[in-house]
Amino acid sequence: MQAAIGFVRPVLVPCVTLLLVLAGWQAVTVSGLFRPDQFPTMTDTLTALGAALGTSELWTAVGATLQGWAIGLVIAAVLAVVVGCVLGANDVAFRSTASLIEVFKAIPAIAILPLVILVLGSTIGMKVFLIAFGAFWPLVIQVIYGVRAMDPTVSDTARALGVRGWRRFVTVTLPSASPYIATGLRIASASALILAVVAELVGGAEGIGRRILFARNAGVTAYPTMYAYILVAGCLGIVLTGAFFLLERKGMHWHESQRGVGTAGLEAR
Amino acid sequence: MNRRTRWARLALAVWLPVVVLVVWWFASATSNSPYFPPLTDILDELVDEWVFGDAKWQLLPSLRNLAVGFVGGSLLGVLGGALLWRVPVLRRATNPIVYFLYVLPAPALLPAMIALFGLGEVRQMALIAFGATWPALLNTLDGMRGIDEVKFDTARAMGFGALRTLWQVVLPGASPQIAAGLRASLQVSIILMVVSEMVAAEEGIGYFILEAQTVFAITTMWTGILVLAVVGTALNYAFVGIERRALAWHYGSRRIGGGPA
Amino acid sequence: MTRTLGATAAGGSAAQEPPVLDVKSLRKVFNAGRPDERTAIDDVSFTIAKGEFVCVVGPSGAGKTTLLRCISGLAAPSSGTVRFEGRDLTAVPDEIGVVFQDYGRSLFPWFTNGRNIALPLRARKVARPERDKRVREVLEAVGLGHVEKQYPWQLSGGMQQRVAIARTLSYRPDLLLMDEPFASVDAQTRFDLEDLILRVRKDAGITVVLVTHDIDEAIYLADRIVVLTGSPSRVREILEVPLGPDRDQVTTRSSEEFLALRKHLLSLVMPQ
Repeated sequence: MQAAIGFVRPVLVPCVTLLLVLAGWQAVTVSGLFRPDQFPTMTDTLTALGAALGTSELWTAVGATLQGWAIGLVIAAVLAVVVGCVLGANDVAFRSTASLIEVFKAIPAIAILPLVILVLGSTIGMKVFLIAFGAFWPLVIQVIYGVRAMDPTVSDTARALGVRGWRRFVTVTLPSASPYIATGLRIASASALILAVVAELVGGAEGIGRRILFARNAGVTAYPTMYAYILVAGCLGIVLTGAFFLLERKGMHWHESQRGVGTAGLEAR
Repeated sequence: MNRRTRWARLALAVWLPVVVLVVWWFASATSNSPYFPPLTDILDELVDEWVFGDAKWQLLPSLRNLAVGFVGGSLLGVLGGALLWRVPVLRRATNPIVYFLYVLPAPALLPAMIALFGLGEVRQMALIAFGATWPALLNTLDGMRGIDEVKFDTARAMGFGALRTLWQVVLPGASPQIAAGLRASLQVSIILMVVSEMVAAEEGIGYFILEAQTVFAITTMWTGILVLAVVGTALNYAFVGIERRALAWHYGSRRIGGGPA
Repeated sequence: MTRTLGATAAGGSAAQEPPVLDVKSLRKVFNAGRPDERTAIDDVSFTIAKGEFVCVVGPSGAGKTTLLRCISGLAAPSSGTVRFEGRDLTAVPDEIGVVFQDYGRSLFPWFTNGRNIALPLRARKVARPERDKRVREVLEAVGLGHVEKQYPWQLSGGMQQRVAIARTLSYRPDLLLMDEPFASVDAQTRFDLEDLILRVRKDAGITVVLVTHDIDEAIYLADRIVVLTGSPSRVREILEVPLGPDRDQVTTRSSEEFLALRKHLLSLVMPQ
């Protein structure tokens, strides 16, 4: 009995609040505070959501967004780990490239979007490039930071034990840098989703962003669908962030005890 | 650090960017690609249009929208985060909703903002403010929750009232994390500023770049890209600079090996 | 030399005034009514007269910190009373000062040492000139006249704890409560700080209650020692420490009386 109550209580308050918010949404839109061409009602939106979930359009769009996101992120991650490890290990290389990387990191990826559209068209390639470009720079900085931040005691121990070369890289360097890499990936995954939507909104690549824009351009009757798609985009965000959290938990369980310090400290400056 | 190492360090930091610039210069001068005009042309046009010409006025509406949206959104976020920290019931109640809004990719809301606010600059400021709120809110909340209990005991033992505790313990204690949140808010704000100018807009730096691309004025487009890159970079460095100053105590203590505040 | 359980006020000079601290049947239970209920303090009573230096010792986990929090007003007891200068405690009174063990967590890293010390004075609305004067005075008293403009984290551990002590002394409390204040510094520094606190107490005439697990320290510093049992704690015994007002690290610690007290105290504190 105690256990059941223990489960219900923490879930009850947020659920009730959610219902209140939905009710508030309905009240505000029905009362005439917002015109239907500004803000559709909650019931209309949820109905549209239900309908959309049954169509293939929604799932194609979600798939397209996910595709771009995943490929772009993987490319950025692989490149960042490789380049970052090389740069992190060699002081001269690091110092030579540091300023360049910092500058590229500070440039908003969206600045080059029109150029990429020109060169690659409204394709998934454009989306992937934008995401990869945007995600690479902060990620490579995190990797470098992680490699360089290795505890000197750990590094001395590895030397004393005779662990060298490739083995040392895989069993000592990578795990030691992994908290930073994990944090970097989590942050990169969020910005990759944003860039995916941007590429779809502005560049016209297929995906959720494009559908949302279509719905608005289709006129007032399609507004509930537009909001339905926005909700779907939010859910996508939850799924992706949640996935990374779980991944981090599992892969880094050994590091959990140190996580209490707060991963904010693991972010490269 | 002696003179020789100083020079060596400087040389190391500078040689690669210089090489990259030189390569860009020559490669673009000799190539035939319409998408990558010669760097000389770009720089010429940059000076013509931006230094002497009217293009620079395109920046004003952008920066104004950015300022209003970022400041408004961050302020809202910090206040909201503080409120949720103070009232744990409220935090538990709104947790899923806040989280949902935080992971929602803000550009997805642009069409909705157009529907709500029309085509003027209000929709841009509203979108930027929305995007800026959530990172600020969550980081403020986390920062305040992360303050060591002992500090609150100390404050009580010294006779601090609630206001004094907020001002001299909570805010400084949470400020490193709040700063991190504001940095994230700034990055999102810049993206949203440009995005909102690339969809159904009439002015702004984003509009400038996209418009140039549409009429195939490639060199002009490139000048816009460079300007935006410089502005974005400058804003980031300015932010970091201010942060380093304001949080000098924090960086100092970490350098000497102190743990989190 | 020793007294048994239930002994109360020592020192006839405090006969007229109420004792500085009067603890009766203090009991503290955490998570009452829940499955993880835990009684930290079962039944603790003692009285402290003005000007005394009392140490509280006990085995690890005996609830010494909890006791300190209850008698300072930081935590409310589950039952029993705590009276400070004749009044019931509801919050931390202005006349009490608390020094925590972990100076690193207690000092505010975002203020300079001088500003840290000025904090309680500002809270008590002390005017600026008086504030500055006291900050300087109190830094001199702990031997750190030159660190006013530096930050706590720029100082060594021992110096930081001095700053923390200075901060508490700045508003001249009647009672100083210290929670294992010297546990986080090295042995050498510990001796310096012990002598510092004795000197400060003599100069300022304040009453001190110091919680420690170090029995040598307890005997060296105290006029009386309250010995707690393990958790849930009760008062095992209250020892008198007749070593006189002038103490010296070398001579006092090697005196016969010290060693005898030590033997006795050790037998009380060690697990059976």
